[in-house]
Amino acid sequence: MIRRIIRHRLTRRLATALGTLLGVAILVFIMLRAIPGDQVTAQFGLEAAGLTEAQRAQLEAYYGLDRPLVVQFFSWLGNLFSGNLGFSSRAQMSVAALTAQSLPVTVELAVLTIVLSLLIGVPLGMLSASKPNSLRDGLGQTVGLAGLSIPAFLLGSSLLAWLAGSGFNPNGLGYASLTQQPWLNLQQMLLPAVVLAFGIAAPIMRTTRTAVLEVRSLDFIRTARAKGVPVRRLQWRHVLGNALVPITTMTGLQFGYLLGGAIVVEQIFSLPGIGRQVLIGIQQKEYAVVQSTVLIIATGFVLVNLATDALYRLIDPRVRVS
Amino acid sequence: MSVVEATPAATSSNGRSGRAAFRMLLRSPAGLVGLILVGLIALLCLASALHLLPYDPLLQEASQRMRPPSSEHWFGTDRFGRDVFARVAAGVANSARIALVAVAFSTLAGTIGGIVSGYLRGASDAAISGVTNVLFAFPPLLLALTLASVFARTWFTIAVAIAVVYTPIFIRVTRGPVLTLREIDFVRSARATGQSPAAIMARHILPNIASIIIVQVTLSLSWAVLTEASLSFLGLGTPPPAPSLGSMVYEARTLVALAPWTMIFPGLIMVVLVVGLNLLGDGVRDALDPQSRGKR
Amino acid sequence: MRNRTHLSRLALPVAGLLSAALALTSCGTPSNDPTDKPTEQILVVGTTSDPDTLFPWKATQFFAVNVAQNLYGTLTEFDADLNVVPGLAESWETSADGLTVTFKLRPGAKFADGTDCDSTDVKHSLEAIQNEATAAVARSSLATVTKIEAPDASTVVLTLSVPDAGLPSNLAVINMAILSSEDTEETLNTKPNGTGAFVLTSRQPNQSLTLARNEHYWGAKPPLDGIEFRIIPDETSIVSAMQSGNINLTTFDDPLVAQSAEAAGLTVRKTPQLSYHVLQLNATRGALVDENVRLAMQCAIDRQEVLDTAAQGEGEVTGPITSPAYRSDPKARPCPTRDLAKAAQYLAQSGLSEVTVNAIVSQGEYATSVNEAENLKAQLAEAHINLELEVLESGAYVQRWIDADFESAVALNGGRPDPDGMYGRYFPSTGNLNKVAGYSSPTLDQLFAQGKSESDPAERAKIYTQISNELEDHAVWIWLFTSYSYTVTTAGVTGYTPMPNASAQYLRSTSIA
Repeated sequence: MIRRIIRHRLTRRLATALGTLLGVAILVFIMLRAIPGDQVTAQFGLEAAGLTEAQRAQLEAYYGLDRPLVVQFFSWLGNLFSGNLGFSSRAQMSVAALTAQSLPVTVELAVLTIVLSLLIGVPLGMLSASKPNSLRDGLGQTVGLAGLSIPAFLLGSSLLAWLAGSGFNPNGLGYASLTQQPWLNLQQMLLPAVVLAFGIAAPIMRTTRTAVLEVRSLDFIRTARAKGVPVRRLQWRHVLGNALVPITTMTGLQFGYLLGGAIVVEQIFSLPGIGRQVLIGIQQKEYAVVQSTVLIIATGFVLVNLATDALYRLIDPRVRVS
Repeated sequence: MSVVEATPAATSSNGRSGRAAFRMLLRSPAGLVGLILVGLIALLCLASALHLLPYDPLLQEASQRMRPPSSEHWFGTDRFGRDVFARVAAGVANSARIALVAVAFSTLAGTIGGIVSGYLRGASDAAISGVTNVLFAFPPLLLALTLASVFARTWFTIAVAIAVVYTPIFIRVTRGPVLTLREIDFVRSARATGQSPAAIMARHILPNIASIIIVQVTLSLSWAVLTEASLSFLGLGTPPPAPSLGSMVYEARTLVALAPWTMIFPGLIMVVLVVGLNLLGDGVRDALDPQSRGKR
Repeated sequence: MRNRTHLSRLALPVAGLLSAALALTSCGTPSNDPTDKPTEQILVVGTTSDPDTLFPWKATQFFAVNVAQNLYGTLTEFDADLNVVPGLAESWETSADGLTVTFKLRPGAKFADGTDCDSTDVKHSLEAIQNEATAAVARSSLATVTKIEAPDASTVVLTLSVPDAGLPSNLAVINMAILSSEDTEETLNTKPNGTGAFVLTSRQPNQSLTLARNEHYWGAKPPLDGIEFRIIPDETSIVSAMQSGNINLTTFDDPLVAQSAEAAGLTVRKTPQLSYHVLQLNATRGALVDENVRLAMQCAIDRQEVLDTAAQGEGEVTGPITSPAYRSDPKARPCPTRDLAKAAQYLAQSGLSEVTVNAIVSQGEYATSVNEAENLKAQLAEAHINLELEVLESGAYVQRWIDADFESAVALNGGRPDPDGMYGRYFPSTGNLNKVAGYSSPTLDQLFAQGKSESDPAERAKIYTQISNELEDHAVWIWLFTSYSYTVTTAGVTGYTPMPNASAQYLRSTSIA
C-alpha cells in the first residue's frame, strides 16, 4: 500500500513541487541578502549616517538582522510551516494579512485577463485557421503579431495618456474591492485587463490556430467530413474539442505567469496587487515580505501547473489511457 | 545574429542545408519582412555605434529643450535638450546588445544543460531539471528584477540577469528531443562503437536539434528585448544616462502631454524591432521545419 | 496597412466597453463619497508612496514625515516663514548664562485619546529620544541637554552643557514629537496617539490612509472633517485624477509634471525649498585632499548651467545656507561665476595637469540626479577634470554615502531653518555626520561653537556668514542650487500654505468648498 502511494505519479509530482518551492525559497533568500543595503538604510535613508553604533545595533535587532543567516533562514522556514509568513513593520501588518488584500486583486486581474484573452484569442485563431493563408488568416495573424510585439507598459502608458484628458479615470478614485464596490472595481480592472489580454490573446490565438489546423488534418475529422457532418458543427464540436488540450496548457501557463507578471500593469494602473507588494518589499528591503510573497506566487504557479496537468488528463483521452 | 551563424549547416534529419533554409526564409513573406525590419534596425544600431549620427545621445543642451520633430531634430528633443533620434538609435543598439548577449548566454547554457540532462539522464538530469523547475516557478520579471538589483548595474549584468531567466526555456526545449534522439538507431550504434558521451552529444545529438535551437533563439531575442524594456521601465534596467527604449518611454510618461514625441518614437522603434524579430522567428521556423509551415 | 484595419476591428468592442464604462463613471462619481454626508469636508491628498512608518521619532521619508506632522505635536513649531513659534510650549525662557531653558506648557493640551499632555510626557519623550536604545533620528539635536526636569505639571526645565541657540528650532522638528508616557512604540505604530490636528482612523497599506479631525486639538479647530491620503504611484495618474476632481491636493517635485498639471487647468503654486543640490567633495580622499583641486572644480562649474540643463532652470543658485533668515550670498566665493582660467591656475598650483575624481550618483532617489552629474562631468572635462560617474541604485547609493565611501557625491540634502541644525552635524569635527562631510578645521569648529552659543540674532547671522564663506573659500563642497516644490490644488481648496521645509502642517487650516 505505502509503496503504491510512494510510487504513485501524484505523490512524485507533489514531491517535485515541494522540492521546487524549497529551491525558490533558498534562491530568494540568498538573492535578497545580496542586494546592497538593508531595512535600516532603506527606512532611514541618508539619516542612517547619523545613527550611533548602539542605535544601529538596536535597529538591527528590531528588524531581526542581527541573527546569523542560517538562523534567519530556518526560523523563516519554520514559521512558514506554522502559518506565520512574517511581519511587515512598514505596513504594521502580517504578510499573511497583506497578501489577503493584494492576492485577490492580482487573481481577479489574472482571471479577467484570461477570460478576455480567450474571448479574443480563440475565435480569432479559429477564424484564421478556417482558411489558412487567406486574407482573414493574414489579418488574424497580424493582430496576433501586434499582441506579441507591443509590450504591456507601452500600451498601458499610451492608453492612460490618451485617456488622461477624457475624465475617465476610475483608478484615481482609490482601489475599490470587488466585494464592496463591484461596479467601480470592474471599471478599474477593465483597462489593465485589456492591456494584459492584448498580449496574452496572441499566444492563445496562435496556439488555437495551430491546434485547429493539426486536428483538422487528423483522420477522424476527415472521416466525419466525408460522412457529411456539417462543417460548422464539425468546427465547434470536434475540432475545438480536440484543440482544447493545447489551448488549456497554454492558458494555464499564461495564468501562472500573470500572478507574478502583472507587476508593470499594476504599477501603471495603481492596482495594489501582489506584484507591487514584492516591488515595494524589495525597495524597502523587507525581507520577510519579499520572501514569503515570492514563495506564494511560486506556489500559485506550481499549483496552476498541477491543475493544468490534471485538467489535461481529464480532457485528453489519450493521456488518460496511458 | 552571430548566434545563428555559430551553429552552421545543421545537417538535420529534415535534410535541408543552411543555404536552402535561408532561401526558403527569403521566399516566405513573413521572413522577408522580418529580415528587412531587423536589417533596418541593425543599420540604425550600427550608425549609432560608429557615431555616424549628427548628435550625441548624451549631450544635454538647455536651449534646445523639448523641441518638436523638425528637420534638425528628426524625432525632436527631450526635456534635457537631448536629440531623441540619437537616443532612440543608441537605445535600440543598447537593447540589441543586451538581448544578443543574454540570448547567447542562455542558448549556450541551456543547450548544454538540456543535452546533458536528456542524454546522460540520472543524477545530472535530476539536478538540472530541479534547477530548471525552480527558475520556472520563480516569477520571471521578479527574478530579473532581483538579480538586477544585486550587482552593480551595467548593461552586462542586465544581460546576465535576463540570461538566467531564459536558460530554463532552452533546457526544456532541447531536453525533450534529446530524450527521443538517444534511443534512435544511429545514436545507439555510435554508443555501441564506444564513442564517448561527449563526442556523441557534440557530433550526433547537437546537429539534430540545431533547427529547434535556432528557432528558439530568434523567438527569445524578441522576448529579451521586451524584458529589458520592462526592467528599464521599472527603473531596474540600463542605468542612466545611457538610453534604453524602456527607460525613455518611462521618462516620457510624465511629459506625454507636453512632448508626446518623446514617448511615441522610442515606443514605435521598439515595436518595429520586436515585430521584425517575431516575423523573422516565424520565417526561420517555416524555413527549417517544413511541417510547421502555414500552421504556426 | 493590414495591421490597422484589423486593429480597428478589435478596437471596436473595446472602445464600446470603454465608452459604456465612461458614461457610467461620470454619472456614478458623486455616490463615491464614502460617507454619504454631503456636509462632510474630506480632502483627498494624492501621494506616490506609502509612509514607511507612523512612528514620529523614526520618520525620515518625506511622506512619513508629512503624515506624522499632522498626527503629532512638538514643543515649538515653525510658522509659514520658518520662524520658531510656540507649540505645546506656550513660552520659554533662557537663563542669563544660557545654560537653563524653562518651558511653560500649554494648559489643556491633550493627546488624541483625551489624556492630558503634561510635563511628565515631555520629560519622558525627550529622555527617550536621548536614549540610544530608542534609535530616534533626532538624538543628536539634544546633545547639549544634560538634564530634563519637570518641577510641576506645566513646567519643563532643560539644563544644557553649553548655551544652545539652535535648541528651540531643533525642538520644532517632528522627530521631536511629544508622546504620551503611557504609549510604547509598538502601540503607536498601529494606533498613533499625538497632540496634532488629526487622528488616524484607518489605514490600508499601499492604498490609503484616512485621518479625522482631532477633537482634542489645542489649536484652532481644523475646518476639514478628515483627510484621505491616497497612494497612487504614478504621477501622471494623480494629475488625471485631479482633473476629474477625485483628488484635491498634491505636491510634485518635477517642474514638468507641475507644468502639465497647470496645462490641465489645475492651480499650481511653487515654493522654494530648503533642501539643496550639491556636489559633495570628500576632502580626505584622493586628489581632493588638495584644496587647489577642489577650488579648480569650483571655478570650472557654472551652477546656473547645471540648473538650466538638469532642472529646466526651475530653482535658484545657492551657497551653503538656504534658510531665508541666514541665506548665504551665492556670489561670495572664490569663483562667483565660472572661470576656466582660474580653474587652470588652481590646477597648476596643485601640480597636476589632469585629475580624475570618482562621483557616486543615485538613480531613483530624485529625478534630476543623473542629469546634474552629466552636466557637471561635461563642464569639468573642459577644465581637465575627469568626473567618473558611478550611477547606483538608491539602496547602494545610500550605503556608500553613509559609509562615506566616495570621493564625491552628487546629492540632494535636506535643509533646516536653523543653520546650526543644518550644518552643525556635518562640519564640526564632533558632528555625527562629519565623516560624510569629509572636511573639518579648527576654524570651523570654533565658528560653529560660537554660533551655537550666540543668542543675538544679528550676531548669529554674522557668524554663519563667516561659516558660509569659510566653506566656500576652501571649496569644502560645491553647492549648486535649490529647487521648488509644486503644490497642485483643484478649485475650492483654500487655506493651505506649503512650506519651504516641505511640511504639510497647514492641512490643519485647509478647507474645501
